[in-house]
Amino acid sequence: MNWRIRLTWWDKSLLAIMAVAAVIAFVRFATGIGTIANINNAYPWGWWVGYGIMTMIAIGAVGFTITALVEILGAHRYHSFLRPAVLMGLLCYTSAITMLMVELGRPWMVWMVLVSWAPTSALFEVGWCAFLYLTVLALEFAQVPLEEAGWGRALRILRAIYIPIMLLGVTLSHLHQSSLGTLMALIPHKVNVLWWSDLLPLIFLFSAIMAGPAMAILEHLAAARWLGFAPRMDLLAGLARIEAWLVGLFLAFQMGDLFYRGAVDAMFSGTWLAVSFWIEIGFGLLLPLVLLLMPEVRESRRGLAIACSLVIAGVLLHRLNVAVIGLRVRHWETYVPSLGEIGITLGITAAALFAFGWLARILPIHEELPSPQASLRPATQPAGVLHGAQGVS
Amino acid sequence: MSTPTVKPKAMIQDNTRCIGCRACMVACKSWNDRPADHTDFFAGEGYQNPRDLDANNYTLITFNEVVTGAKPDWVFGRQLCMHCEHPACASACPTTAMFKTDLGPVVFDESRCIGCRACMQACPFIIPKYDYDSFAPKIHKCTFCADRLEVGLDPACATVCPTGAISFGDRDDMVVEAKRRIAAAPGTYIPEIYGLDEVGGTSVLHLSSVPFDQIGYITGLPKTPMPDLTHRWLRVTAPVFAVLYAVFGALNWIVRRRMRRQGHEGEHT
Repeated sequence: MNWRIRLTWWDKSLLAIMAVAAVIAFVRFATGIGTIANINNAYPWGWWVGYGIMTMIAIGAVGFTITALVEILGAHRYHSFLRPAVLMGLLCYTSAITMLMVELGRPWMVWMVLVSWAPTSALFEVGWCAFLYLTVLALEFAQVPLEEAGWGRALRILRAIYIPIMLLGVTLSHLHQSSLGTLMALIPHKVNVLWWSDLLPLIFLFSAIMAGPAMAILEHLAAARWLGFAPRMDLLAGLARIEAWLVGLFLAFQMGDLFYRGAVDAMFSGTWLAVSFWIEIGFGLLLPLVLLLMPEVRESRRGLAIACSLVIAGVLLHRLNVAVIGLRVRHWETYVPSLGEIGITLGITAAALFAFGWLARILPIHEELPSPQASLRPATQPAGVLHGAQGVS
Repeated sequence: MSTPTVKPKAMIQDNTRCIGCRACMVACKSWNDRPADHTDFFAGEGYQNPRDLDANNYTLITFNEVVTGAKPDWVFGRQLCMHCEHPACASACPTTAMFKTDLGPVVFDESRCIGCRACMQACPFIIPKYDYDSFAPKIHKCTFCADRLEVGLDPACATVCPTGAISFGDRDDMVVEAKRRIAAAPGTYIPEIYGLDEVGGTSVLHLSSVPFDQIGYITGLPKTPMPDLTHRWLRVTAPVFAVLYAVFGALNWIVRRRMRRQGHEGEHT
C-alpha cells in the first residue's frame, strides 16, 4: 500500500509547529520541567493537565460515544462516523499519553502504575483504564490498515474478538472518564464551590459524552472540506439533535446539582471565578443549546461548526476551572501557563491533526470517499465488524 | 518496627510557647540535608522567611501580626506535614509511593514515584512540594523524621526547641497533654486543638492563643477522612464494570439480532 501523501501548506504548518514543540520538549527533558513551565507548588497541575490530559481524554470520548451509538444503541445510520471516531479516539488518547510523558516528573517510572497497585487512588484507575482502552482502540482501528495490507489471518482474529473488545472499550471509557472527576472529588476544600460536587465523577462522564457527537460533527465538516466530499447533512442534523439533547440534559444536571448543593450565591457573587463559571455555562452550554435547537443551524455547516466548537471549548474551560482556575491555594500564588507549556500542547495537537490527515488520505476512513486502494481489493470482501468502508450505512 | 504493639506517635506544636527562633527549621534542614535558599522580601501578610514551604524547607515558622486587645502583636505559627491519620496524599498516589507507617509518619518512597503530583493536589494542607528544576524531581515534605523514629529518636525539630513548644510522644498521651494545657490555662489558649479532628485527625496537634485562621492555618476543613470521598466511588468500580459490560453486551446482542432479522445476513456488525 502507498503511505505517501502530497504535503499541503496545512500539513507543512503542522510539521513546523511540531518541530518547535520538539525543541521545547528537548529543553524540558534536558533541564527539567521548571525551565519551561510555570506550574508550581500551588498549582501542580496546570494547562498540561487541564488541556493536554483532561480535555484530550474528554474529547477522545468521541470514540466510545459513536461506537455506543452505532453498536450498542443500534443507530446504524451513523455507521460512517464510526471509523473517524475510533481514529480520533486513538489519536486523542495517544496525545494524552504523550502529554503525560512530558508532564510527569519521572516519566521513565510510569510503568509503576501497572505494577504497584493502589486501588484507593483514582489516578491508578484512570491509568489502568486508559492503558487498556488505548489497547482496545488500537485493536479496533488496526482492522483498517490490516484490511488494506491484506493480512487475512490477523484480520480474522481481530474481527472474531471485535464485539467483546468493543464492549470492553465502551465500559472502560465510562469508568475512567468518571474517575478523572473522582480525582478532583478528593479536594472539596480546594476546588471552588462552583465546581466541586459530590457528583464530579458523573459530571466528568456526562460532559465527556457530550463532547462525543460534537467532535464527530466537527470532524465530518472538516474532512468534507479538506478531503473534498459532500457532507452528509441529513446525518449531521441527526447528530446535532442528539447533541442538543446531551447539552440540554447536562445543563439541567449541572444546574440541578448547583441548586441542590446551595451554590447559587456563588454563581451570583460577581467574583472572577463566577465570571469564569458564567463563560463556561453561557458559551459552553446555553449558547450552543439555543443554536442547536434551531433547525436552520442544524442544517448549516457554519452553524454546526460554531455550535459544536462552543461545546468543545466549554468542556475545555470546565476542566481548567475544576483543575486549575477554581483552586483555592495560598492567596499570593498565581499561575498563568508559559509559552513553553502552550507550545508543547500545540505540538502534540498538531501531531494528532497531522496523523489524522495523513491516515485519512492513505486509508479508507471516510465512506464518502472512494477507497484509496479500491482497485486492489477483492470485490466480494466481507464487510468487517468494524465495517469495511462499504459496509452497512 | 511494624509489630502490633507499636503505638502511633504525635507531636504537639504549642504556638503559645514559640518565640520564633526557628531552631526547628535549622535542625530540619540539617537532618534532611537541605541546601540554603535565596529568598526575597515580600509584602505581608506573614513576614516569615522564606514565605512558604518549598523543596528545601520542610517546616516553617510563620510570623503573623495579630491585633490582640489594643495593640498588634507577633504571633507565631508553624507549617509542617500534619501526618494525617487518613492521608489524602497517600490515597491519591497511583503507585503507593506515598504511604503512612505504623508509627505515624507519612513517608515518600522515590523509587515508586512517577512524578504525577497527585499528592500535592490532594493535600488539604498544601504541604508536599516539588523540585521542578531537577532533572529527576522528587516530592519534598516533612518526614516526621521517620528514620529517627525507627531507631528510637525524636524528630530533629522536637529535640532542639528551646522553649518546649514542640512535644513528642504517643498520640494518645499527646492528646491528653494538649487538653490538659488548654484546661489549665484557658486564658492563654483558644479552646481548640488543630489536628484533633481535622480531616479525621492528624499526628501533629497545634495549640494557639488566637484563632488559627489569623496565623496562616487552613481552616474550615472537614472533620472526616478525605479518602472517603473517593473511596465511595472507587469501591464500586468492579460491580459497575460488570453491570455496564453486561448491559452493553445485552443491548449489542439485541441490536445484532434485529439486524439479522432485517436481512443483513453476512454483515455481522
